[in-house]
Amino acid sequence: MVDLIDLFNWIIENKDIIKIFYGLIITVICAFIVIKVDKLFKLSMHQGIRYFRNAFFFYGLAFIFRYFLGTYSFYEGSLLNPSAIKFIFEFFLIMAGFFLLYSLVWKRIENSQEKNPSSSLFNKNLLVFYFMAFVIVFLDYLWSTYFFMFLSQIILFVCLSIISYINYSKGKKQHRFLKLYFVAMILSLIAWILNAILALYLNWNKGVLVNIYILNIIFFLLVLYGVVKVTRKI
Amino acid sequence: MAAKKRERLTIIRDILIVIRDTRNIKPTRLLYASNLSPQMFKDYVNELLNKKFIKLEISEKEKKTFSLTKKGYDFLQEYRIIENFIKNFGL
Repeated sequence: MVDLIDLFNWIIENKDIIKIFYGLIITVICAFIVIKVDKLFKLSMHQGIRYFRNAFFFYGLAFIFRYFLGTYSFYEGSLLNPSAIKFIFEFFLIMAGFFLLYSLVWKRIENSQEKNPSSSLFNKNLLVFYFMAFVIVFLDYLWSTYFFMFLSQIILFVCLSIISYINYSKGKKQHRFLKLYFVAMILSLIAWILNAILALYLNWNKGVLVNIYILNIIFFLLVLYGVVKVTRKI
Repeated sequence: MAAKKRERLTIIRDILIVIRDTRNIKPTRLLYASNLSPQMFKDYVNELLNKKFIKLEISEKEKKTFSLTKKGYDFLQEYRIIENFIKNFGL
């Protein structure tokens, strides 16, 4: 019991270091994923791979804004505005989720036989996602809350879990990573639900927050494992 | 039952395999073998030429033939990895 209290106190005392370390781990994982997947995209020009790469590019950006610039913005004398950082962080994070979803459903929307659109960041199919992300972030900004982001991410990861489960049940024998990908989506969904409970009912309890950090790190590590395992010969 | 539409990546692989197996192939024969409309065939061939996966050779008698480049061979070698990635992530 004493150990737990000590641990809790240590977390409180070193919360900024923990935040930066956590942000650093996830940013590095995202960078690895983006570099590996980008090589594969340049070779294949496959749109699904392209959107998947974009998702982790946006996750990386979001974590840089939240955990490096965001932490710095709260220090005295900082030129950065915490509200602006929060706005940008939320926007990138929501866009990352949308790109992840779009990487799984793009075939139903785009013609996979046609030549790729020149940009995967600014094509007309994605405008609706940019608009939705902006509206969600703007609503959170108006009410000074994270509620709309949490709600959108929980809905998004429910969809992602269902789609990845369908993919897993269709091809489980030939493609083993589909199962881990489904597990990764469920973990992220749990992390988002815990995050919402923590923010709305537990006033950002630091002990629970560490568990969410661990869940998120596992999510990104699982994706990295899949990427490295499949692309190790390139 | 209608045949399933081939994906872009599969079409590229199929074209490259035909060129690899025949070593040098005339455009008309490649068009028949690729099973594409003339317009789509033209788009795909232009893309493969631009990416330097294939090259167009013109003989003294002005006969045109396509052959595979090293980059094209490399793509076919790595196609399995690409396909595996797409299937494993459900992309």
